Amino acid sequence: MADAPAFESPVVRSYPASRAGDLTLSDESAVTKWLVRAGAEGPTADLLDARFGTSRLTPGDALVLGSRPGEWIVVGAASEVAAAVAGLDRLEEQEFCSALDWTHGRAMFRVTGASAPRMLEKVCGIDWSDHMTPDGAVVSAPVALVTCDIARNDRDRVRSYLIFCDRSFGQYLFGALIDAGNEFGLSVAAASAS
Amino acid sequence: MLLVPCPNCGPRNSTDLRYGGESHARPDPNTASPAEWRAYLYLRDNPAGWLRENWYCASGCRRWFSIERNTATNEFRDPPLPGDKRGGAA
Repeated sequence: MADAPAFESPVVRSYPASRAGDLTLSDESAVTKWLVRAGAEGPTADLLDARFGTSRLTPGDALVLGSRPGEWIVVGAASEVAAAVAGLDRLEEQEFCSALDWTHGRAMFRVTGASAPRMLEKVCGIDWSDHMTPDGAVVSAPVALVTCDIARNDRDRVRSYLIFCDRSFGQYLFGALIDAGNEFGLSVAAASAS
Repeated sequence: MLLVPCPNCGPRNSTDLRYGGESHARPDPNTASPAEWRAYLYLRDNPAGWLRENWYCASGCRRWFSIERNTATNEFRDPPLPGDKRGGAA
């Protein structure tokens, strides 16, 4: 089998950020992402064990997001994602299911900081309060008019959100997030390995 | 702003959804007359009042659902539950 092509981020240039606060934005598009589709209820749903609108960490620290009814995104280190979806092969006689490596097709950004909800409120119509979107919540909604999957994935009790969009919108969305976050002192961080 | 109660995502701005028109039962293709097909395809009730219609949650769950809306007041009633297939195309 041919080697996978080297990953190239959709973000090829950044923009000036104010860097005065605790809000950080990082481009984590290189992290391995898989899309799994199957019936909303069935053996695949049982195996992945993340209902629509929720997420969970596997024992190997891959993040499974219930992004839509019958649709999951698995994110994490390549080996851990492979381990999380490996069991799907055993289900092929019970249910039709597809699993696709989405790493090159989707951009992924992480916004972290106490001001992250206020920043997202500027570009997205979702209620980011704790009782509506607690840690682990997953929603699909337009961010700066780009349809995205957004997962709340707090880091050390600090608000943090993963934002996924089609690769072709990645550069635009990255700039739009910087623009929205500048008034909260956004800084653009180096991508973390997760 | 018109808030549409999606059965999966909850209340969403109507700009997150696509309007799918009035919800009608599809005639049986084995027995329907040309006039029935014409009525199904082209004729609309367009009442000033309660109407069952289809919506597509384009920015959210990407599922079709059908719901009753009062076209005069924009109230919604009888919201479907998650997984409810009434009226909506899969």
